[in-house]
Amino acid sequence: METPVDTSQIVKFAKLDELLALSRANSLWPLTFGLACCAIEMMAAGGPRFDISRFGAEVFRPSPRQADVMIVAGTINRKMAMAVKTLYDQMLEPKWVIAMGNCAISGGPFVFPGQYAVIEGVDKLFPVDIFIPGCPPRPEALIEGILKLEEKLTGKRRWPVVKPE
Amino acid sequence: MDGAVTTPADHAAKGYDLDVALAAGGVVAAAEYLGGIGFSLDTMTGVDWIAQNEMEVVYDYFHPASPLRIVVRTRVPRDNPEVPTVSGVFPGANWHERETHDFFGIRFAGHPNLTPLLLPEDADYHPLRKDFVA
Amino acid sequence: MSASFDIGAPSKSGETFVLNLGPQHPAAHGVLRVKMTMDGEYVMRSEPVIGYIHRMHEKMGENRPLAQFLPNTGRIDYLSALHYNHAFVGAVERAARIEVPPRAEFIRVITSELNRISSHLVWWGAFLLDLGGFTPLLYAFDDREKILDLLEGVTGSRLTYCYFRFGGVRDDLDEGFAGRTRAFIAQMRPRLKMYRQLVTDNVILRKRLEDIGPISPELCRKYGATGPVIRGSGVPYDVRKVEPYSVYSQLDFDVPVYPEGDCMGRYRVRMDEIAQSLRIIEQALDKLPDGPTLGKVPRVLKLPVGDVCYAVEAARGRLMVRIVSDGKEAAYRLKLRTPSFSNMSLFEEASRGMMLADALALMGSLDLVIPDIDR
Repeated sequence: METPVDTSQIVKFAKLDELLALSRANSLWPLTFGLACCAIEMMAAGGPRFDISRFGAEVFRPSPRQADVMIVAGTINRKMAMAVKTLYDQMLEPKWVIAMGNCAISGGPFVFPGQYAVIEGVDKLFPVDIFIPGCPPRPEALIEGILKLEEKLTGKRRWPVVKPE
Repeated sequence: MDGAVTTPADHAAKGYDLDVALAAGGVVAAAEYLGGIGFSLDTMTGVDWIAQNEMEVVYDYFHPASPLRIVVRTRVPRDNPEVPTVSGVFPGANWHERETHDFFGIRFAGHPNLTPLLLPEDADYHPLRKDFVA
Repeated sequence: MSASFDIGAPSKSGETFVLNLGPQHPAAHGVLRVKMTMDGEYVMRSEPVIGYIHRMHEKMGENRPLAQFLPNTGRIDYLSALHYNHAFVGAVERAARIEVPPRAEFIRVITSELNRISSHLVWWGAFLLDLGGFTPLLYAFDDREKILDLLEGVTGSRLTYCYFRFGGVRDDLDEGFAGRTRAFIAQMRPRLKMYRQLVTDNVILRKRLEDIGPISPELCRKYGATGPVIRGSGVPYDVRKVEPYSVYSQLDFDVPVYPEGDCMGRYRVRMDEIAQSLRIIEQALDKLPDGPTLGKVPRVLKLPVGDVCYAVEAARGRLMVRIVSDGKEAAYRLKLRTPSFSNMSLFEEASRGMMLADALALMGSLDLVIPDIDR
């Protein structure tokens, strides 16, 4: 039996790929997946002062079928882990995951010897593209994370890097 | 109430005014009495006194119209902890008792639904016991 | 008029189905799952399932010295984190008989009331989002950012504050704080008036909330519900007035109480509380004494054997911390009585027979923060 060949291995649509990547990066639709404190900073990032609408990402979709990127904002619990995995599986390709906050990266402040409830990092469940440290990270950090994801998609960074004074 | 040891306490130093220590069988009567004079159940706390081989259940009561706070406590043996439920008097105790059962394994006789509340549905461990190993 | 439903009557079609709300749901305010047995649009029975964000705060309280538990207190209810700071440091101070200087007490009150306002603003925006109005959320977050600027200048954090210490507060206020806060209050009062005209007096909101989700004072008492839930049912229970702590007895403020017991009553209680908090902050700024901001605390803090409890009025209701100590550095048992736990437990009984949209309005009016329930 022949091995199936993926079209992207034999055919490259250079400009079309770039255009698709640019359009995906310009309108990343996040899944509303705020679990805990980081969710409030995610909402603040969608609020008027920080405004991720400038980057096309303000359309938070409640349904995983309609979302591109899952921003895991908060602590993942053993009880919740099944639900998170189900949501990830329900999202359609291409999909990305941003782990926002220390809890999503590695369990955060809730890791101690003898802990029984927290999954130490969402990358133990499925692959993560961007990690945003902080407890909670500032909305500007979340926006920088989204811009890094855009850079990962398109290969180049479209917005200037902010240099602290 | 039989066997009740009542100790007044200084609110400024302890946070409550009256401490009532009872046998486990008396908690329902205490709840009914306090409920009758207008108190509300604040919370229930389990404490694992492993050194004395006992478990303690502490009921905190508050009153919506006065600063009085009353604490009712009872001790049960650690290897067979069972306390009658007060959820007939205070339906809010339903969740408190499920949580105390989750954390300590204390059984509340007569509780309609003593299933895990905070732990996963199939959890069979009691994490706040002092001999708990994850 | 609420569309209520005689539960005793057999369902028209004879069939019920189970609708699973959550744990991921835009109106669930976090990870709450409610299994609703529905007959068409009416909720016959609802069973909340919690524990999806159980983060073992009480176990952590036993595992570490008391001072290391302070960051946890900010994360139990992140929207009103300073109240949780206050309850914990208050319990330890009560047990160890630590004196708090008056300036620190006033700073605690000012920052706590600012936190209460920001918490109520988030509630207001999210509640209206549940009901279907998106715009107030943006206005609320704009106002909230100004409060967060004030608090960030003092505490260093935007959300999960860890500012109170045993014996006082970590840092003193800087010189510009009073001026900036007064400017904020002056700007916030006309905004409240605008919210009243645009939202509270809005006929659609009124139809959505009036007579919906009645909660009687007896129901509150049986479940231990406190905060705006009990004050919206006509009972003037506020820990700041009934069991005064800190310097609230020196400040003059009213406790808004509405007798209706419906969602509108609870809504009005919270909106009036924002105005009262502004009053408290102004008075506290006027009365702010000079002096140190941290009292004397022993280097290694061990509480005497026994138990102690301390209650505060958090943004959601009565918060009580009970510490059982055996003389060591860590608490033997740390119990957190959180307001959302008791407020949520009455949802089962209160939502019987309601339509689904009304049940969600009721849930929003309880002002739940799910990590507060699960701890």
